[in-house]
Amino acid sequence: MGPSDSDLIDRWRGAPAPLLGLLHAFHDRDGHLSDEALRAVAEGLRVPLADLYGTVSFYHHFSRKSGGRDAPRVCDGPVCKQRGSDVLLAELEGATPMPCAGRCDEPIPVLRGGQVLVGTPGEGLRAAPTPLPPPNPAEGEECCFAHVREEGRSTLAGYGGAYRALARARELGPEALLEELDASGLAGRGGAGFPTARKWRAVREAPGGPKTVVCNADEGEPGCFKDRVLMDHDPHAVLEGMAVAAAATGATRGFVYLRYEYPHTQTVLERAIDEARDELDDFEVCVRRGAGAYICGEETSLLNSLEGAHPFPRNRPPFPVTHGFEQTPTVVNNVETLASVPPIVERGADWYAGLGLGEQRGTKIISLSGDVRRPGNYEVPLGFPLHQLLFDWAGGPEDGRELQAVTMAGLSGGFLGPDDFAATLDEPCLRSRGSFLGAGGVMVFDDRRDMVDVARQAMAFFADESCGKCFPCRIGTQRLTERLAGTAGPTAPDAWRKEVHAIGETMAQVSACGLGIAAPLITESLLRLFPERVDEALARR
Amino acid sequence: MTSPAEHRLLLDGESVSFREGETLFELARRHGDAVPSLCFDDRLEPLGACRLCVVEVEGQARPVASCTTQAADGMVVRTMTEALERHRKALCDLVVSENPAGATIDPLRGSASQELAALAVRYEADGGRFAGARSGASRTDDPNPMILRDYDHCISCYRCVRVCSEQQGDDAITVGGRGFATRITTEFEGPLADSACTFCGQCVQTCPTGALADRRALRHADAPGELAATRSVCPYCGVGCSLDILTKGERIVGVQPAFDGPANEGALCVKGQFAWEWVQHPDRLATPLVREDGELVEASWDEALDRAADGFREAARAHGREAVYAVASGRAPHESAYTIQKLVRTCFQSNHVDNCSRA
Amino acid sequence: MAGLAATLGRGAMSNPLEDMDKPDVIFCIGTNMTEAHPVAATRLKKAQARGATLIVADPRQIPLARRADLHLPLRVGTDVALLGAMAHVIVREGLVDEAFVAERTEGFERLRDHVASFTPEWAESITGVAAADIERAAIAYGRAERGAIYYTLGITEHICGVDNVQSLCNLVLLTGNIGRPGTGINPMRGQNNIQGAGDAGALPNNYPGFQPVTDPNNQAKFERAWGVRVDLEKGMTKVRALERAGEKIFAMLICGENTVVSDPDADHCRRALESLEHLVVIDLFLTETAELADVVLPASSWGETDGVFTNTERRPQRVRAAIAPPGEARPEWWIVSQLARRLGAEGFEYESAAEVFDELCSLSPTYGGLSWELVAEGRHHWPVPEAGHPGTPVLHIGEFPRGRGLFATPSFRDPAEVTDEEYPVWLTTGRRLAHYHTRTMSGRSAGPEFLVPEEVVEVHPADVTAWGLADGENALLSSRRGSVVVRVAADDTSPRGTVFSSFSFSDVPVNVLTGSGYDPVTDTAELKVCPVRIEPA
Repeated sequence: MGPSDSDLIDRWRGAPAPLLGLLHAFHDRDGHLSDEALRAVAEGLRVPLADLYGTVSFYHHFSRKSGGRDAPRVCDGPVCKQRGSDVLLAELEGATPMPCAGRCDEPIPVLRGGQVLVGTPGEGLRAAPTPLPPPNPAEGEECCFAHVREEGRSTLAGYGGAYRALARARELGPEALLEELDASGLAGRGGAGFPTARKWRAVREAPGGPKTVVCNADEGEPGCFKDRVLMDHDPHAVLEGMAVAAAATGATRGFVYLRYEYPHTQTVLERAIDEARDELDDFEVCVRRGAGAYICGEETSLLNSLEGAHPFPRNRPPFPVTHGFEQTPTVVNNVETLASVPPIVERGADWYAGLGLGEQRGTKIISLSGDVRRPGNYEVPLGFPLHQLLFDWAGGPEDGRELQAVTMAGLSGGFLGPDDFAATLDEPCLRSRGSFLGAGGVMVFDDRRDMVDVARQAMAFFADESCGKCFPCRIGTQRLTERLAGTAGPTAPDAWRKEVHAIGETMAQVSACGLGIAAPLITESLLRLFPERVDEALARR
Repeated sequence: MTSPAEHRLLLDGESVSFREGETLFELARRHGDAVPSLCFDDRLEPLGACRLCVVEVEGQARPVASCTTQAADGMVVRTMTEALERHRKALCDLVVSENPAGATIDPLRGSASQELAALAVRYEADGGRFAGARSGASRTDDPNPMILRDYDHCISCYRCVRVCSEQQGDDAITVGGRGFATRITTEFEGPLADSACTFCGQCVQTCPTGALADRRALRHADAPGELAATRSVCPYCGVGCSLDILTKGERIVGVQPAFDGPANEGALCVKGQFAWEWVQHPDRLATPLVREDGELVEASWDEALDRAADGFREAARAHGREAVYAVASGRAPHESAYTIQKLVRTCFQSNHVDNCSRA
Repeated sequence: MAGLAATLGRGAMSNPLEDMDKPDVIFCIGTNMTEAHPVAATRLKKAQARGATLIVADPRQIPLARRADLHLPLRVGTDVALLGAMAHVIVREGLVDEAFVAERTEGFERLRDHVASFTPEWAESITGVAAADIERAAIAYGRAERGAIYYTLGITEHICGVDNVQSLCNLVLLTGNIGRPGTGINPMRGQNNIQGAGDAGALPNNYPGFQPVTDPNNQAKFERAWGVRVDLEKGMTKVRALERAGEKIFAMLICGENTVVSDPDADHCRRALESLEHLVVIDLFLTETAELADVVLPASSWGETDGVFTNTERRPQRVRAAIAPPGEARPEWWIVSQLARRLGAEGFEYESAAEVFDELCSLSPTYGGLSWELVAEGRHHWPVPEAGHPGTPVLHIGEFPRGRGLFATPSFRDPAEVTDEEYPVWLTTGRRLAHYHTRTMSGRSAGPEFLVPEEVVEVHPADVTAWGLADGENALLSSRRGSVVVRVAADDTSPRGTVFSSFSFSDVPVNVLTGSGYDPVTDTAELKVCPVRIEPA
C-alpha cells in the first residue's frame, strides 16, 4: 500500500508549482493516472477537472492505462532510428516509441518506469551511466566541461566544498556582477541566444515579486544531450549558476524544469540541492519533472506547464522577465548558460570572452551524434570550424562512407550539406547559410541515408510535437509530413515544390513560436541540397 | 493622464489615433474592418491562434498577430500587403483543406457559424489546395438534444473552450491531445450531460464554423421561408437577457443571444437559449373557454368576455365591490399588470390587486 | 422588498448587474444564483477569477458554495442569527464606517446594544456555522473596499423575511457599502417582469411607481387621471385574499400564474379557488389553475406580444412580437381592456401596447422620463423622473429616499414550525437550472426535459442509509399539511438532516407540504423551511 490520496494531496497542496509533482506522485504510486486520481487531484488543487484532463492528455508520458507508466518506451529519434530502434521496439513486449530521449551518444535509450536503460537490437537492455564527454582533442580550454570529468564532481566536496562564485557574486553586488556578465558576452545557450546580462537586468529592474529563476532543463530537441551530462556530472555548477542569477536579480525561488526522460537526473539534482542548502541560503530551489512535451522547452510553454496550465506558448509581450512564473518577473535560462556562470564569475569576463575565436566570445557545447566515429558532447570555442569538429575531433565517417548532410540546432536548423562544412560554429556564419546553431545539436548522415525519409521523420516529429495552438504550425507540419511521406499532395515535381514552398513560407512567416517558424527549414534545406532525391522519391509514387 | 488623441501611429499610410491598451486588430477594425480572423471573439482574451490577422509592423522581422499586439506610439503598420494577403490565403486554404464543407453551413447552427464560410469565399478556398488528412471527429454518440458536437467541422480555434472558461466560468470543455490530433472534449471524453456543462450554448454561439450547433434550431433547417430575427428579451428569470428570436414565416426556429444586450452582453442560459419550443406547443390555448355544465368548452371572445364580466359584476353586486380580487402576472409585460390594476381600481374602486411575487 | 423600503426607502436592487464584476468582496446569501440567475452568476464568476473574495451563506453546497472562498452552511431559517453575529463582529473589530454611520444613518446606538450579545459562539449554537468562519466572513466584508451583497428568495421566503433583509441592511449601513459602484444590497428578482408588475402598480398598497394608495395626494392624482373615485385603503395581499376566499373574496381574475402548483399549502389553495363564485384565468396553457376557472382567456405569449419587461436591475426593455399568436389568442392588455369596457369603465380604449405603456409613464414618477420609444434602447435604470434624465444605475448615492438609513433591531426566532419527533427532517425548496417555476414553459421544451425529466428529493447519502431509503426509489414525504411521493436522489449537496426539492413538477406537488407560515409584514410564505417526515414508499 502506497500513500493515500489525501496523503499525496496534503504533501503537495501547499508546495510551489504543485500540479506536475502531484500528478507524478499519483502516476508513480498507481502506475497510471486513473479517473479517480484525476478527480482527486482536481478537487485537491481546486482546478477544473476538464482542464486537468486536457492538460494531462497533452503530455506523452502520463499514461491513463493501468500499468502504462512501466511499459517500455523506446527512443525513435533520428539517430536511434539509424541504430535500429524499430527492431528493438518489436523485440520488447508492450513497448511504444518515444521521441528523442537525449542519449544520442550511446545505444538506444529505453525508458522503463523510473529507469533509463540502453539497448541494442538482439542484445537486450542494460543500465548505463550518462557518458562523460570525450577528452577535448585540442586540449583547448573549456568552460563548462573544465572539471566535469573529475571523479566525484557531482558531490559538493568534489565541487570544491563551497559555492565560491556565489560568494564572489554577493561580494560584487548585483550592479558589478551584471557588468561583468555583460562584458563576458554570455548569451542564452538553449537556442535563442539572448544576452544573459540583459535578461537578468530586466528581471532585476522589473517591479513586483517574488522573483523566480527557472532552469530550463527540458532538453527536448532531437540530437541534444548536453544538459544531461552537465546536470548528472556537475549539478552544483548548474545550481550555483541559478543562485548567482538569484543574487543578481533578487529572486527568492528557483525551479529546475527537468524533462521526463531524465529520471536519474532528478535524483542527482535533489541530492545536490540537499547538500547545498547552506550555500543557497534562503533561495529555495525545487525540481519539477515534465511529462513529455517538446514544446515545454519553449520558455513560455514551460512556464505554463510549471504552473499547471495547458502548455501552449504564451503571447509575447509581455515577456517572462516581467510576467513569468505566476505573472512575476522570471529569469528562464538554459542549463548550459547557468553552468557557464560560475566559471565566468570566478575567472572574469575577459577570460570567458577570450575563449571564443575571432570576434566570437565564449564556448558552446555541441552534441554530436550519428554517422561519425566519435559521437559525444564537445565544448568548442564559438567560431570553431564545423569541418574540424566533424573530421578531426569526431573522426569523420566510417571507412568507405561519405558524409552527405548534418543537421543544425538538433532538427530545428534543418540540413547543411558538404558545401557548408566550411562554416564556423557561430550564429552569424550559420544564419548566413540559412540555418542556426541553436542548442547545438548536430546529427550526421552519411551516404547510406535516405534524406527524404530523414526529412519525413523530422517533420513527423514536429507534427507530433506541435502544440496545436496556431493554425500554420498545427496544419502546416501535418501537410508537410504528408507531402514528404507521399500520403497526400501533388506528385508532379513542380506542383509539389510549389505547395511545399507555399506552406513553408507561411509557416516560417506567421507561426506563433519557434517550432512552426523553424520546421520548414527541413523542407527548404532538403529541396536546396537534395533536389534529385526529392524528384526520385516523387517519381516512385 | 494622456488623452487618447495624443496616441498616434501610421496605419496603412494614414495617421490614426488609438486608445491606451488598444490592439492593432481593434484599431484596424475601427478603420475598415478588413483584417480577417477566426479565433477572435470580442469577449475573450485574444489567443493569437489563427494568425489570419497578421499585419506588418516596421522593424519586426516577421508579421505579427494584430490581435495580440498592442498599438504603440509611432508604429508603422501595414494591414493589406500582397505578402500578408498571400499568407492569409495560405492559412485559409490550410484551414479549409481539413474542413471542406465549411463553406456551406446552415446559419441556424449558431451566431458565428458563417465566419469560416465567408472567409472561404473571400480567399477562394475550396479545400483542394493543400488537401490532406482531416482532423476532428463528430460526437454523434452525445445524446443531448441541444448542442450538436459536429467536430468534423472543428478548426481548433478554441473559442468554445475559452468562452466556457473565461465568459461562462464553467470550464466544462477542454483541449485534449495536441497538434493535429487536438480535439475538444470533456473530461474522460464523456457526453456533455456527464460534464460540468450547463448547456448555456455560449460555445455554440461563438463557433466560427458551426461545428458546435444548436440542435433545436437545426430541426428547422429545411423549413420554408426567409430567416428573420426579432430583438426581444428572455422570458425566464429577472436578469433580462437580450436575444434575437429567429423566425421563418410564422414559426419560431431558434434563439440567439444579443451581443449588445445590456444585461447579458451576449450570454444566455440553457432556458433562454434552448427552451423556447413551448411558444408554439400544441397545448397552447387558442380559443376562449367557458364552463358549461361543469366542462370548459370553446367560446367566442364576446361570449367569454361577457361571461367573465357578468361574473365579476354579480359578485360585486352580491357581496360588495371588495369581493373581487385580481392577481397580475410577473411574467407578462407591464401593459398586462397596468391594465389589471387599473381595472380593479377603476371598476371596483378597491386596491384588491397583487402580483405573484409573494408566492 | 418591504424590508428595504422601510430601512432605505426603496425596495429594489441598489446596483446594476454590470457592477457585479467590481466588488472585492461578494457576500451571497440565500441565492442559488448559478441555477436561478445563471447569466448574472457568470459576472460573479468573473469577479472571482479576477481576485474578488466570494462568501456564500447557504444551507446547501450549491454550485456557488462549491466555488466560494468561504462557505457558511447555516441551518435553514437561522439567517438572523448569522447576520446578527456578523454585525457583532464588525462592531467589535472596529470595522464600522463611522463617518458613514454619522452622516447617513440613524439608530446606530440601539443596534450596537442590540447585537452586543450576538457573539459568533452564540450564533454557532443556532446556525451550526463555526464561529471562526462567521468571524472571517464578517471581517472580510467589513474590510472590503467594495463589498456587495446579493440575495434572493432564500432570504425572503421565511416568516422572518423582513428581519432577514433588515439584518443584511444593517451590515450595509455599518460598513457604508452602498451608494457606490460595486457595492450595495441587491435582491435578485426571480421572474422576467416581477419588477415590472410592481412598477406598474399591481400591488395592494401602491399605485404605479410605488406611490402609496393611502396618500390622499395620490388618490387625487389618480382620480384626476382616471376620472373615477379610487380607494384610500390598502388592498389585501394575495395570500390574505386566498385565505378569505369564499368569505370575503368571491371572484378572482388570475393572470399567468399557476397558483395551485406554485403557492404553498397547495390543498388549501385549491380549496380556496374552488370556493370562489367566479374565477377567470388568463393564461397560455390550460394549467392546473385554469382547469378550475369559469372562464379561460387565451393570451398571446412571449414572442407574440409587444411590450415592456423591467429586469431585476430596474432596466425597462422592450419585448417584441416575432410571430402571430395561435388562433384567437390576444395580448393581455387587450383582454383586460375588453373586460374593463364590459364592466362599464372608460379609459381602456387602447389601440396598442405603446399607448398603455405611455400612460403608465405619465403617471409614474419612476418612469416619468421614459416612453415607449425610449425603452426600445433599454439603456435606462429607473428612477427616470423626467425627460432627458439619464437614469439611475446606482441607488442611494449621497442620500436614501427615506433620508437616513435606519438600523432595525431584529432578533432571531424559530421558523413557524420546527423539527420534532414526528417531523424530524428539514425540507427546503428551490429552483433547478433547467426548469422554470411550474414547467408550463420549460416542461414543453426538449432540452430541459432531457436534463431534468422528473422531480426528485435530494437526500444526503448518509441519510439515505440511515433512514432506510434507497437511491432511485420512491419515498413518502409528509408534513403537517399533506404528503407527496417522490423519487430519492442520493446527493451530498444538502447537509445531513435537510432534504431539498423543487416545486417545478405538478406530479410531485411539493407545495402540498409547505405553507407553515407567512412573514407578518409582507405575507410572503415560508417556502424555504418546512419540517417533514420521510419514509420509504
